[in-house]
Amino acid sequence: MKRVLIADDAMFMRATLKQQLAKHGFEIAGEAEDGSIAVKKYKELKPDIVTMDITMPVMSGLDALKEIMAFDKSAKIVMVTALGQEEMVKQAVVAGARSFVVKPYKEESLITILNKLL
Amino acid sequence: MFEDQFVNESMLDIFIFETSQLIEKLEESVICNEEDNRYSEAQINEIFRIMHTIKGSASMMMFGNISELAHAMEDLFYYIREEKPVHMDYSALTDVILACIDDIKLEIEKIRNHDKADGIFRTEIEDVKKLLKRLKAAKDGKDKAHHYQVRLFFEDGCEMENIRAFSVVQRLKEICLQIRSIPENPENSNESTELIKRDGFNINLETEHSYEEICDFFRNTEFLRDVDIKEAEEENEDFRLKGLPEANTDNKWEKKENREEGSISLQQSIISVSVNKLDKLMDLVGEMVISQAMVIHNPDLQGMELTNFHKAAGQLTKITDEMQDLVMAIRMVPLSVTFHKMHRIVRDISKKLGKEMQLKIIGEETEVDKNIIEQISDPLMHLVRNAADHGIEDPADRQRSGKPRQGTVTLEAKNVGGDVLILIKDDGKGLDKEKIVEKAKSMGLLTNQERDMTDKEIYQLLFLPGFSTNSEVTEYSGRGVGMDVVTRNIEKLGGSVSMDSTWQQGTCVTLKIPLTLAIIDGIQIKVGKTYFTIPTIAVKEFFRPDKKDVLQDPENNEFIMVRGECYSVIRLENYYHVKEAVKKIEDGIIIMVEQEGKSICLFADELLGQQQVVVKPLPDFIKYFNKLKTLTGCTLLGDGNISLILDVSGLF
Repeated sequence: MKRVLIADDAMFMRATLKQQLAKHGFEIAGEAEDGSIAVKKYKELKPDIVTMDITMPVMSGLDALKEIMAFDKSAKIVMVTALGQEEMVKQAVVAGARSFVVKPYKEESLITILNKLL
Repeated sequence: MFEDQFVNESMLDIFIFETSQLIEKLEESVICNEEDNRYSEAQINEIFRIMHTIKGSASMMMFGNISELAHAMEDLFYYIREEKPVHMDYSALTDVILACIDDIKLEIEKIRNHDKADGIFRTEIEDVKKLLKRLKAAKDGKDKAHHYQVRLFFEDGCEMENIRAFSVVQRLKEICLQIRSIPENPENSNESTELIKRDGFNINLETEHSYEEICDFFRNTEFLRDVDIKEAEEENEDFRLKGLPEANTDNKWEKKENREEGSISLQQSIISVSVNKLDKLMDLVGEMVISQAMVIHNPDLQGMELTNFHKAAGQLTKITDEMQDLVMAIRMVPLSVTFHKMHRIVRDISKKLGKEMQLKIIGEETEVDKNIIEQISDPLMHLVRNAADHGIEDPADRQRSGKPRQGTVTLEAKNVGGDVLILIKDDGKGLDKEKIVEKAKSMGLLTNQERDMTDKEIYQLLFLPGFSTNSEVTEYSGRGVGMDVVTRNIEKLGGSVSMDSTWQQGTCVTLKIPLTLAIIDGIQIKVGKTYFTIPTIAVKEFFRPDKKDVLQDPENNEFIMVRGECYSVIRLENYYHVKEAVKKIEDGIIIMVEQEGKSICLFADELLGQQQVVVKPLPDFIKYFNKLKTLTGCTLLGDGNISLILDVSGLF
């Protein structure tokens, strides 16, 4: 079973993602409510893939992405974003994000992305 | 990396000096030749040599990163020099060189500021190597490289199609030698989103990978609704974008005499002198001019028969005059270097924003004082950016309004009297007066009735702090910091900025700058036994006041009515506590001074005349007195008296 790390500061989003992923046979390796925890948990848990919210307190998803990429070049990170954050997404793509979904996204498209990347 | 103890400071200075000079020359020549879309053999040689030099000295100084980058460039140009490839994408070559120039510049700046030169240029070096690989592949009969034309459509509702397209290009870069996409740089505008939705995202790519592998790549790309991959013919017109010259390029390698002259040459019969020494020399000559006046007009000589003395004095005056001219001339630097830097800005903006424009330079040989050059470079850059970014319209818009597709930004310099005028013109859409007035109103900046305002007054609003009509911030301008900073910088030099514009025809910004900072035109006045100099540029008028025009408020502040307007009066005797000054207003003189559209009246005893004065700074201990903040400096008059130079803006 593929292991996913969910990084999002909103409890609702984490719960939603957890439910969606579990339904399609992913294992939730862990959850992080801000960027720095995401980095810490990534190093600790070595998940197969990460879903990363862009706007988070303490450390943004973008910075967390950069740190994780510096730690593990082959990290697979999917950004979760909202309309209007084009500039951030662009930077994330440059920094090594494998893909991104725009909220509100369709459940199946998220699953398709994850499956394609894994 | 660089360790302080290993490096002799003066060696470092030489390294910095030489490298920045080489880099600057290189940049200038690259930009100048981009339009021709070719590099002469001599230039290729020159670039190779420059890179070789930088590589060598950087590695000597233990700047491994610079040396590595220069090495990659050297390899590239070695190949070009030896193999003379026919199919050269000069535009890509220029991009690579410029990126490399920027990186080296940045590192040099870091070194100069005693920071650690820690830039990592892995991607840049990769780019250089890729280009070299591509050239080699082209040379080897193109059998390794495949060209594909790809058109892809994203799934409906996947959002941010432009960023998705950007992401695809980013990942393609890892496996492709060259990529061109339509729209180019989709991530930079939201319009491209619509375009991609409607026409799909078109990519032309060159790669060593097989068709199957490319198909695999797109199969693994998410959110794709439809992909169409075609293997393109080598001679495909689409692929041969305008940057690629035709096959018949033999003549490009021919030596052309006139080009040779324009190429980079570092052999000069010029020595570099520290500016400090020049400043000192300037000071001394100023001193000498004053001392000479003190000797020739010495009160002890009055009433004496001095025919021979006057003859000798005449000769001395002639020599000191010549000397003064020469010292000024030494400090004069042509504007050409500063002007040519703007080529780069215009080029970058036009590339980035998809506009077509050229920079026209007139009068680049005009000279101004070295200190002034340093101060106007930033404002100038800002104004050129403004013109290119806001002024010039998109090619399609220009065509619609009957203008040539290519916009023109003109930089012009000329001498007018003791000033240099620098004009920054564009043939763009011009300023929208209504928008400016509206914005000023919403910011509560409008004091006059708007219908009373002249065009000039309206444009003047743009110089107010925080004023920007551009609601959308672009990378280049529109942040609301700008015109006021430009004005402040120019005024610091004793210059002025004005603006003129015709709707749909263009905008022209004029900078008026004095030739030199050390000598200004001033009006001499006297209060009691003290002499003051007011910069002529600030003086609006002077007149002898009439007692009946003067009013007083309950707090004893004085005002004067002039042509129905009321101005406050500052008595310099009270302001500076000067003794034995004229008290009765009708016995003195009023000097009306203006600053940023506001006027006040200064009251002094008498007017002595106008003359050029050498500005001397005040000693630091005097500057601490509050009132003396309104003094910019002092000057020595011919008779040995000291005259204080007023900073008019401080009086308001």
